[in-house]
Order: sequence, then C-alpha cells, then structure tokens
Amino acid sequence: MGDKADVWQGTLALMVLKTLEAMGPLHGYGIARRIEQTSGNLLSLNYGTLYPALLKLEQEGSIAAEWGVSENNRRAKFYSLTKAGRRQLRREAQNWEQTTAIVARFLSSTEDLV
Amino acid sequence: MKRLRAWMVRLGGLFGGGQREREIADELASHVQMHIDDNLRSGMTAEQARRDALLRLGGVERTKQAYRDRATLPLMENGLRDLRFALRQLWRNPGFSVLVLIMLALSIGANTAIFSIVNALMLKSLPYAHPERMGTIYTRVTGARSSDERHSVNGEQWELLRDDVPSLISAISSPGTSGVNLQVGSRAQYLQAGRISAHYFDVLGVRPIAGRNFSEAEDRVRGPKTTILSYGLWRNSFGSNPNILGQAILLKGEPYIVIGVLPEGAATPLNADLYTAIQAGRSGEGGGTNFQVVTRLRDGATWQQADAEIGRAWSHRGYLFELEDNPGAQVTWYSVPLQVGETATLRPQVLTLMLAAGFILLIACANLAGLTLVRMLRRAPEVATRMALGASRWQIQRQFWVENLLLAFAGGTAGTAVGFVALRGLLLLLPEHFLPVASVPLDGRVLAFTLLISLLTSVLFGMLPALATRRLDLRSAIASRGTGGIVGGDHPGLRQMLIMSEVALTVVLLAASGLLIRTLIHLQTLPAGFNPAGVMTARASLDDVRYHDPEAFRKLVKESTAAMRQIPGVQYAAFGLSLPYERALNTGLKISDGKEAGQTVMTGEVYVTPDYFEALQIPVLMGRSFTEADGPDSQHVAIVNRTFARKFFHGTSPIGRYVNKDTRIVGMVEDVAIQPGLEVTAPLVGEEGIYVPASQMEGKLLSLVHVWFQPSWIVRTSRPVEGLTAQMQRALASADPNLPFSGFYSMHDLLAKTLATQRVEVALLSAMAGLALLLSAVGIFALVANIVAQRTREIGIRIALGSSVRQAMVHIGAPGVRAAAIGLIVGLALCLGALRAMHSVIYGVGVYDVPTILTVILVLASVALIATAVPTLRIAGIDPAKILRDE
Repeated sequence: MGDKADVWQGTLALMVLKTLEAMGPLHGYGIARRIEQTSGNLLSLNYGTLYPALLKLEQEGSIAAEWGVSENNRRAKFYSLTKAGRRQLRREAQNWEQTTAIVARFLSSTEDLV
Repeated sequence: MKRLRAWMVRLGGLFGGGQREREIADELASHVQMHIDDNLRSGMTAEQARRDALLRLGGVERTKQAYRDRATLPLMENGLRDLRFALRQLWRNPGFSVLVLIMLALSIGANTAIFSIVNALMLKSLPYAHPERMGTIYTRVTGARSSDERHSVNGEQWELLRDDVPSLISAISSPGTSGVNLQVGSRAQYLQAGRISAHYFDVLGVRPIAGRNFSEAEDRVRGPKTTILSYGLWRNSFGSNPNILGQAILLKGEPYIVIGVLPEGAATPLNADLYTAIQAGRSGEGGGTNFQVVTRLRDGATWQQADAEIGRAWSHRGYLFELEDNPGAQVTWYSVPLQVGETATLRPQVLTLMLAAGFILLIACANLAGLTLVRMLRRAPEVATRMALGASRWQIQRQFWVENLLLAFAGGTAGTAVGFVALRGLLLLLPEHFLPVASVPLDGRVLAFTLLISLLTSVLFGMLPALATRRLDLRSAIASRGTGGIVGGDHPGLRQMLIMSEVALTVVLLAASGLLIRTLIHLQTLPAGFNPAGVMTARASLDDVRYHDPEAFRKLVKESTAAMRQIPGVQYAAFGLSLPYERALNTGLKISDGKEAGQTVMTGEVYVTPDYFEALQIPVLMGRSFTEADGPDSQHVAIVNRTFARKFFHGTSPIGRYVNKDTRIVGMVEDVAIQPGLEVTAPLVGEEGIYVPASQMEGKLLSLVHVWFQPSWIVRTSRPVEGLTAQMQRALASADPNLPFSGFYSMHDLLAKTLATQRVEVALLSAMAGLALLLSAVGIFALVANIVAQRTREIGIRIALGSSVRQAMVHIGAPGVRAAAIGLIVGLALCLGALRAMHSVIYGVGVYDVPTILTVILVLASVALIATAVPTLRIAGIDPAKILRDE
C-alpha cells in the first residue's frame, strides 16, 4: 500500500459529506467503498477511522443516522445529509478550493514570492 | 455552536452506555458482513474474505474504543469510574465510612455554626444603606489610667456634635429601651420604647412607610409629644389603621401624636416597639453621659475631616469629665465603623469560640488522617496488585483523592445540616436581643466557608496517607499480604504523633472550659448578701405622667404593697427601684461632715420601702432599717452598705453621718451581689450602695429615674402560694387598674439573666471540649484496635511462649497510653501560654487553677485508659493454638 496516500486529518469529514451529497443515504461500509472508488483507489482508508468521524458529524448535527436494509438485504445504519450538513459542505468545499488554489499558486510561481 | 452541541451530546453520552455499545457492535457487525459479502463475490475463500474485512477495518475492538472515546468525554468517563469505585470502596467499609462521616459532620457542623455567628456579627454588612459611611465615636484616654472605648456622651457633647461637626449627620439615642405603658381602649400594655434624637433614622437610612421622622422642633427640650410606631406595633395594636398619622395615643399616661410608622422588618440598634424624641438638653439627663452616638458621613466629607471637627468641638469644653481623677492624661476622639462599635463587647468571645472550633477541626483532621492511613495500608495489597497490572501511580493516587473528596463532600453536607441544627439550638440558648443583629443566616458566605473547610479537611487528612503510598514497595506489599510488614514499620509512630497532637489540643480546650465552669460556679455561689429563696418580683413602668407627682407615687406604692401583703402566705411585700443581681442607679453625692467633708463620691442608689430589707432578708448590720415614720416631711435618712462605709468612711461607723447636706445615715446593711454600674470588674459585684426611702424621693428626680428604671414589687412567701402572680396582678390593679406588670421574675430568673453570657460561654466551650475529648478517645481507640488487629499473630505467639494475657495487653496498649501521656504533657505546656488570654473572662479563679488542671488530667487519663483498654480486651479472646496452627 506504499503508493497510496493516507487520508489527511480533517479531509475525511469533507469526503463523507460530499459522498452523502452525491449518493444520498448510505451506510458506513458504502461510504468507505465510495471514497476509495472516487479517489481512483489512490487513497487507502482504514475503515475503522470512519466510524468515529461519522459519530462526530452526527454529534455536530451535520448528518443523521437511521437503521435500514442494504441492497443485499443486510441490516445497516444509513447516514444522510442534514440541512446543516449541506451548509457545512458548501462552506468547507469553498475553504478547500481556496486553500488548494493558494497552494497551487505557490507551487507554480515561486519567483513571485520574493 | 457546533462544538457546544457536540460537547452536550457527549456529556449526555456518559449515560446510557449499554444502548450505545449494542449500536456500535451491530453497526460494525453489519459493516464486516457486507465487506465479507463483497469479498466472497470477488472470489476469495470464506477464510480470506473474513480476514481481509477485519484487517481493513483495523480491528473491531480498536474501532469500538475509538468510537467510545468520541461518544463520551474520556476524562470525565474516568472520573465517573473512579467515583463509582470510590463509592463501592466506602460502601464495603461501612464502619470506617460512618465513623469518618460522623466526625466530619460534628467538626464541620461546629465550625459552620460558630462561623455563622462570626459572619453575622463581623462580616455581614449592617442592614442599612451604605453601612461603610456609618460610625460611632471612640474616646481614647492616655495617661496614668488609659482607656480606648465607645463612650456615652452628655448633653453638652451632643449639642457640640450636632452643631459644630458639619461633616457628619449625628444622632443620639438612649443606651437601651425602657418599659412604658400604652393604653389602647381599655387595654394597658407594657412596651419597650426607644428614645432617639432627630435625624436618628436619617443616620440609619430608615424611611417611615407613612409619615416622617422627628423634626428638630420636636426634639427640643419640652418639645411637643410625638411618637413613631414600629410596623409590628402598628399592625398588632392598631390593626394597621391607615389613618393613624396625626392621631393621639395614650402613652405614659398622656397623649402622644403619631407622626410616623416604620417599614416592616426595619432594623434599628434599639429594636423598640415605638420611639419618642429624646429631647436632650444640658441639664437633667443631659447632665450625665447618658446618650449613645451614631453618625453618618455626609457626601463629600472624609472621616479624617470629621474626626478633626469632633476634636475641635469637644476639646474646648469647660470641663472634660474624661480626664477626671487622671492627672496629666490626654483625651482624643475618633470615629470607628458602627459595626465595630456595636459588636465590640462580643468580639473576643466569638473569636475565642471560632478558635475552639478550629481546634476541633484540627483534631478531627488528625483522627481522620490516622484512620485513612491505616485503611490505605490495609489496602496495600490491592494497590500493589493494581500497580502490577499496570496502573500508574497517578491513577492510584487519583483514586484515593476521589475517595477523600467524596468523603469531604458528604461530610460537608452532613456538617452543614448539623451546623444548621446546632445554630438554631444555640440561638434558642441565647437570651433575647443578646446579639446586636436581627438574624444569623446560613448565607452564601457561610456555605462557601463550609465548602472550603471540607476541602481543606479532605486535603489535610488525605495528604498524609497519599504520601505514604508513594513509598509503597510493590514486592514486599504483595508478599506480606498486607497483614504485617508495612504497618509494623514506622507508621504507628506517625499515628502516635497525630494522637499526641489531638490530645494536646483537647487538654487546652478542657482546661479552658474548666476555668469557665469554675467561674460560673463561683459567680452562682457568690455570697448573695440576701436570701433569694421564696421571693417573687414583678416590674412595672412608672414613666407615666400620673406618677410624676410624688404624692400619687407614694399612694400607689402604699396601696399596692398593702394589697399584696393581704395575699395569704405572703410574709412581706416591698417595693424598690432595683433588685439584687440588677444594675443600680448611679449617683454622685457629697459627704457633708467629718474629715471626708466636701468629697463627692459615686455610688449606686436604690429607693426602697421599709419592708425591702426584710423581704429580701438583707441583714442590717448597724443602726436601724427604714420605718413608715420616714416620710416626705421628716428628717431625710439613708442606709449605706458595708462597702460604702469601708470605702468612704474608712471603717468608722457611718451611723449619724450626713451626706448631701441634710441626709442622715441611720443604718448599715450587708452588700448584695449586683451588676456593676460603676466599674466593671466582674459580672456580679458587691458595689458601694446607698438606700433611701421611696417616700422621700423628690418629684424631679423621680420622673427622671423612672425614665431609666422600671421599679420592682417584691413579695416573700413562707410557702409556695397557688396563683401568686395572678394575685399580685390583682393587688396592683386594686391600686391602679391601668398599670400592667412587665412580667414576674424569681431571683433565680434574675441571676440567670445576669449570668446569661457566662452560661452561654460555658455551654458552648464545654460542648466543644466534650467533642474534642470524644474525638481524641475515638482516635486512641482506633489506634490501639488497629494494633491489636494487625498483630494478632504476634500476640498469639507471645501468649504461646508464656506471656500472660495481661502482659500482652500492656504491651499492645502501651503506644496508646504513651501517645496520650505525651499529648497531656504538651497540652499542659500549651495551657501555660494559651490560658493567659482568658484572664479577662474568668472571675474568682486563677488562670492556673490547680483543681481545674487536676480534673483535666484525671478526666483525660481515664478516658485515654478506657479508650486503650477496651480494644485490648479482645486479646483475651485470642486462641494461641489456632494462631500456631494457621502458621
């Protein structure tokens, strides 16, 4: 797994929110899988770290959880985005874009720094 | 917001852990199952599929733990776990826990109760607006005889203060209240009236709810007669009549116009039912120092300015009475906060009690430290096991601290309850108006104090044992199974030190309370100079316009005493201005002949009827008693007491001498115990006194003394008389149907009232000394009992080897006795210094009173021996054979 990047601290929440926005209600395993797929299998996600992150988002009121039945007829806990969660996603996505834009500018034009 | 919300959810997560555990288990199980399903579909074997799923998850248990940490607040979760464990520990040791709780409750309760009084007297602000701007005036005299105290002022001082000290609003009042008669309809009532100057309520900041304060015109000598009612009187006697203002009420036999009603609960230092204007001048009452000053600093002025103005105003008087008989002395005056002035006399007593309460707390701490230490060492194997299993020292310590804090809080709560009950009891014990405050509340400051001492106690008694565990050696603790080794080490030495200190403090408390008890016994058994048994007295107010005329006064006295003499069983009925055990009127009189001619002396003065000495059985030592023949128009006569004759006639016979020009001394009587009026050397003294016939009192003096004193009727009965007081009331009514008695008092009641302070002191300090003794006994008992328990094996072996049970008992009990003995000696040494501070409150006994010290030694030695002996009795029950078998 040496060629795969670890998930950075703090970005996991953003990924979870984005995944739920794109996919609708989804269980933990599904979210994990989807994140891996979306990253083109470049990210190595330790699935275990996902659950405390989900709990944190739930405590903060960004997502809601409900027990349901999976596509393969397994009982699973489904997470969905709340209104507050959508707002948070927009805000964090914007922050993230800003940050990456700044970092990108730094990396592209070092001579401007002086 | 988001964070706060999450935190709240997590705080809530501390509870309902079971539900959450099931949820996460289910969720992870479902996750793993779905992953396995996928893996199987991608062609793995069942075994591989499962392994991969678990691997990718990173372990079910680890995930659960990460989840749990996020679900709750880990630090607090640990705290709760410690708390639960502590509760279980305490629950498993009910004997220890109950003992600790009782000790904490008693010692913290004592401190809470005493501190409430300190708080009410000294820390709480007076219940007036801007109390920091209120004051009174102290007089400092330096010279051959020095003094520094609140002084009453005379009329001249009052006028100068009122007119020439612009920085202050000043007012005066009578020193206390006086009994007066109020007639409402057909009902006559005996009330307490306070006499105050104009602006008195301005100084206090009390505004009447109806009407106004006394005006300056109403406060002039011979000004109009007006009165201000307290709320209680207005409600109870006048049915809250809204039209009372401007109406006349019949007070002291004449109409007084009501000009104001005070608000409900309005506190004044006088605490009277109603108020009249004092109308002070420079003569009469104003000729002596009969007024008490209260002041309020005006806006913009400073106390320094005020003091300078007082000094200018008062130092240029023609005659400075402050410097009388004190050649070369200097006098200055200065303002002190009113609270200090009002509580000055009680302050040392209350602080002494606080100190005693502090001793109790220290003793309890020493005891608890000893107990906790033993308990901690008994738990050494448990601690060692936990440490061996990986618990850090911090975790172990934290556990002990949590247990101590738990005990401290439980003890603090119980202590508050005990303190509340003790305080109620204490206030019941105190005579009415004993404390110059309206109430003694358990307010926030008291509760904060209780919390603080609970924590302090916990730290004090928890610290030592916690430190002891830091030296705990893991291997030897496990090896010795906590039954020998460590406890046999140097810790009993430490415990003996603790016992020693608490015994020493107990000795000081015992000796102090012993001295107070001896003082009280001395005062109560003081030769009274009369026979108090079989005497009943009743008081009424003659501050009444109907009795300003001496003729009416004589008629009332004659008829009422004659009627009382008719009651079957009554031997004598008499009448007098004051009684033994009470304060007498102070008078200055001039000796008119002999080598002392021209000398002015201060003395107590009592007017009496002829039967006074017989009724009280005061022995007439020389000359004669008064007779009915000593009337207003006959030769003015007087009788002096033994001290008067000794002091002013230097042992020569007083009979036939003259005072105040024409008053001839006809007899000498024995001194009786009275409250000091001239010089306060003890609560009861045999002061110089002079008696004059009531019938020879002149009108002006009569009406003045009746403002200050309510005279008493006295009957002596040969046997208990059924319904005596009712018959006395009827007898008085036959002479004046509108004259109410204030109440009936036996001489025993009067003595008890005079010695109330001493009784309260004795009760409180003895209770504390008793508590200290109890705590020390418990400490010694616990020490020895513990040694017996720890060394059962050793004792068994000793007995098996031929030691007698007695020898074993002595051997084991020795540390307890030794600690107590050293404590006793240290305590006696402490007494040498500590008891000297008591010389101002003890009378009739020396500070180093041998009987007291011997009693203390005896009591302490017996208690220590009993506390040691009882636990060693268990030694007799030790079966050496069984011990040896167990070995």
